[in-house]
Amino acid sequence: MYPCRAHRLVSLLLALCAMLGGAPAARADALDGLLEVKSAYAQPEQGVYQLFARVAYPVNDDIRAALKDGLTLTFDLDVVVSRERRFWMDETIAEYTLKRELSYHAVSDRYVIRDLDPRNGGDQHTFPTVEEALDALGTVESWPFLLKAQLNPNRQYRVSLRAGVRRGRLPDTLRVLLFWTDDWHRESEWFSWSLPL
Amino acid sequence: MVPATLRRLGTLGLIALWVLVSGGLLLLLALSVQNSVQYSKLQAWILLVNAIAVVTVSVLLARKIIELVRAFRAQVPGSRLTARTVAIFGSLVIAPLIIVYLFSLEFLNRGIDSWFKVEIKQGLTDALDLSKAAMDMRTQEYLRSTQIFASKLSDMPVSEWPRATDQQRAEAGALEVVVYGALGQVLASSSTGPTSTNLPRYATPEISRAMARGIPYSSLEPLSEGDYLINTAAPIATMPGPSEGRFVVALYPVPPQLARLSEAVQRSYSQHGELSAQREPVKNSFRLTLTLVLLLAMLTAIYGAIYSAEKLTRPVQDLIAGTRAVGKGDFGTRLPLPSRDEMGFLVHSFNDMTKRLRRAREETTRSQQAVERERERLSIILARLTTGVIAIGRDLVLRSANHAASSILGVDLEQGIGQPLAALTSDPRFARFASEVSERLARGEEEWREQMDLKPEMAGARVLVCACTPLPGDEHADNDAERQGGYVIVFDDISALLQAQRDAAWGEVARRLAHEIKNPLTPIQLSAERMRRRYLQQMQGEDAQVLDRATYTIVQQVEAMKAMVNAFSEYARAPDMKVTKFPLNALVTEVADLHRVQESGVRIEVDLDAHIEQVEADRGRVRQILNNLIVNGVEAVETSASGRVLVATKLETAGAAAYATITVSDNGPGFPREVLGRAFDPYVTSKPKGTGLGLAIVKKIVEEHGGRVEADNRPEGGARVRVSLPVTDGSRQLVARERRAEPRKERA
Repeated sequence: MYPCRAHRLVSLLLALCAMLGGAPAARADALDGLLEVKSAYAQPEQGVYQLFARVAYPVNDDIRAALKDGLTLTFDLDVVVSRERRFWMDETIAEYTLKRELSYHAVSDRYVIRDLDPRNGGDQHTFPTVEEALDALGTVESWPFLLKAQLNPNRQYRVSLRAGVRRGRLPDTLRVLLFWTDDWHRESEWFSWSLPL
Repeated sequence: MVPATLRRLGTLGLIALWVLVSGGLLLLLALSVQNSVQYSKLQAWILLVNAIAVVTVSVLLARKIIELVRAFRAQVPGSRLTARTVAIFGSLVIAPLIIVYLFSLEFLNRGIDSWFKVEIKQGLTDALDLSKAAMDMRTQEYLRSTQIFASKLSDMPVSEWPRATDQQRAEAGALEVVVYGALGQVLASSSTGPTSTNLPRYATPEISRAMARGIPYSSLEPLSEGDYLINTAAPIATMPGPSEGRFVVALYPVPPQLARLSEAVQRSYSQHGELSAQREPVKNSFRLTLTLVLLLAMLTAIYGAIYSAEKLTRPVQDLIAGTRAVGKGDFGTRLPLPSRDEMGFLVHSFNDMTKRLRRAREETTRSQQAVERERERLSIILARLTTGVIAIGRDLVLRSANHAASSILGVDLEQGIGQPLAALTSDPRFARFASEVSERLARGEEEWREQMDLKPEMAGARVLVCACTPLPGDEHADNDAERQGGYVIVFDDISALLQAQRDAAWGEVARRLAHEIKNPLTPIQLSAERMRRRYLQQMQGEDAQVLDRATYTIVQQVEAMKAMVNAFSEYARAPDMKVTKFPLNALVTEVADLHRVQESGVRIEVDLDAHIEQVEADRGRVRQILNNLIVNGVEAVETSASGRVLVATKLETAGAAAYATITVSDNGPGFPREVLGRAFDPYVTSKPKGTGLGLAIVKKIVEEHGGRVEADNRPEGGARVRVSLPVTDGSRQLVARERRAEPRKERA
């Protein structure tokens, strides 16, 4: 018992050191794999820019097992619209995040995607398989994100898109406690393009 | 005072700030654990700041401990007390903290482990299975109903389908029944709400795929509000042949009770899964938080213990340093008042004590200085006093003596302090004095006054007026002698006074003699001469011879008496000096030559000091001195075959004054012992035909010149008289001043 406790204490101290170091070591987890924005474009329609994108999320048995065990994955899609400036840093015009979560519903044996934006009223869809669910998550169709009126036609604008996934939906108490532990979290590279005016 | 107060306030402020910050951080940590919504973003920072606080306190504590260890090794006063206090405080704080920590850790481990007990997991799985079974049963039931309805539709014409659909929906309790064509078009539909607001759903791709394969479809779909829908679909078969792609989709509600229970099971299962995955991280998180809190509390407590101990022992250290300073005689030590408590009272008392000690010492110092000043004044007075003062103990040991006492007694008494009087010196005069004193004290006479004649038969005899008074003893004195007390003997040399009185008396006698005798002498002489002239020629024979002898005798004796009376007159006359500057050596040579001519039987020699040039004096009287002395010498040796008289001059200096010393010595019998002490008194002579005034006149002239004269016998035989005369008038005045200052100095 004592050696075990001593070992725990040592690991606690190591964790403390790692935390003080400010650079938690990256760990291998179920989110390892391909995560990238495959394609994206924005198209104005009736004065509103709509986003179309394809994102590839990692699919593997670990994710399946984790979801089956009751874990929830949160998928964020960050969109940043910035005005390009030649001699200064770009100015951010708009910044939105499409936040959704994927979980496994054990009673119905279905994968549930839920929109976390309260304005959408918790809209959710169910899928029989993970692949279908991830495919649905990776497909963004006609997401209105910008008013044309917000833009100056004489300026250049740039849209940047980044996908992120992390393990989430812990009870809040635990989630804050676990900020330094192996809280799965991955982000793709930014996918940017010039906004056609 | 003010900087110390400010420093104390600053320290208190820092401590209060530290307690507030660390307490606030711990509170925030606790709040963030309880309510993460508000503090989740701050969580990392709070923990980081807490960790930094732990490191900071650790560094401060390490520094304090190193200081403490160094002080302990160097045996700095108070360090042991500090170490002991810290050890006691530390163990009092650390032991409960560690017990609470270990207990909490154990409690935490057991608590978290209890969340994930196998029974709970199994119970949840069973509940889930039960829910699924219930849902499956319901689903299968609805699917069968849909399939039956689909087979019914296949047997009836399409025109009947809308009615049958409505009927089916009503009978089966479905929410919606829709018949789709091969292209996905709605052939018939029925729903619970108004048609305008409840458009039939599109068949999902899953349904489409199942229908394409001719397989009935059923699924349980969770809704966002915790409700469920049972979605069923069945192809419409045409006997015999394919379904032609038509199918029925029916949506059924799940009873609310079943839905609620199932949703609760689902939620619990999901949460348990999340928690299970986070079991170790959660434990670690709690342990880390707990450890951080423990470390912060423990380190702060130890630091506080050291700080308190130092604060407690600082006045003690000050007191120790102050006591040492007082021990070394530094009464100016004032300690800073630490507080108004008992320690402050102690320090205040110490300061008060040192203040009183300082005052007492200053008082003592002032008294000592006053005593010293008094003693110095007294010693100056004693030193300048022409009266001799000596103090002796009851054991007759000399305690102190002034300079005049040494001069009068002719003994260096200051060298003999601490010795018995009798053992001081063998000088006969002092021995006489000591024996007189001893005898009187031995007889128990403690207070007396007496005139003491010290060795009147010796040269330099002294007559002292002596007084003795007992001294009280000092019972606080260090030694027995001072405790017992003693005697103080005061004495005055009245030899000169007596001499002066004698001189004055002799002068008066001489003057009266000269006056009374000289007057009748001339008529006697004249009468004798007249008788001789008148009657000598008239007488013949024997009468003439008698008259001749008688008158001659009368005239001779009258001449002799005149000479004697003139000598007396000379002695008694008032001083009337005619000081001139003349070569002394030439005068000596002249007088010696004169006597050489007269006294052919005596060898008269001179030994002259060439350094003596001019002397300021009354030439005639110096000649008289030389004359008298040479005559004395010649008369002393004229019966001797090898009579010799030596006249020597020498230049001597005493202090700033220069003297010309004339020494006349002979090889005759010398002064008789009984005469030596009074050789210069009138009418003291060892010669059968002397007047006894020769040396008296010499002495008188010498004193008129401010010089001194001494008479003694040479060791090899013969008399010796030394006359010292100041060379210049300036020297004479200098000598006169010195004599006024030391009038008791021995004179011839």
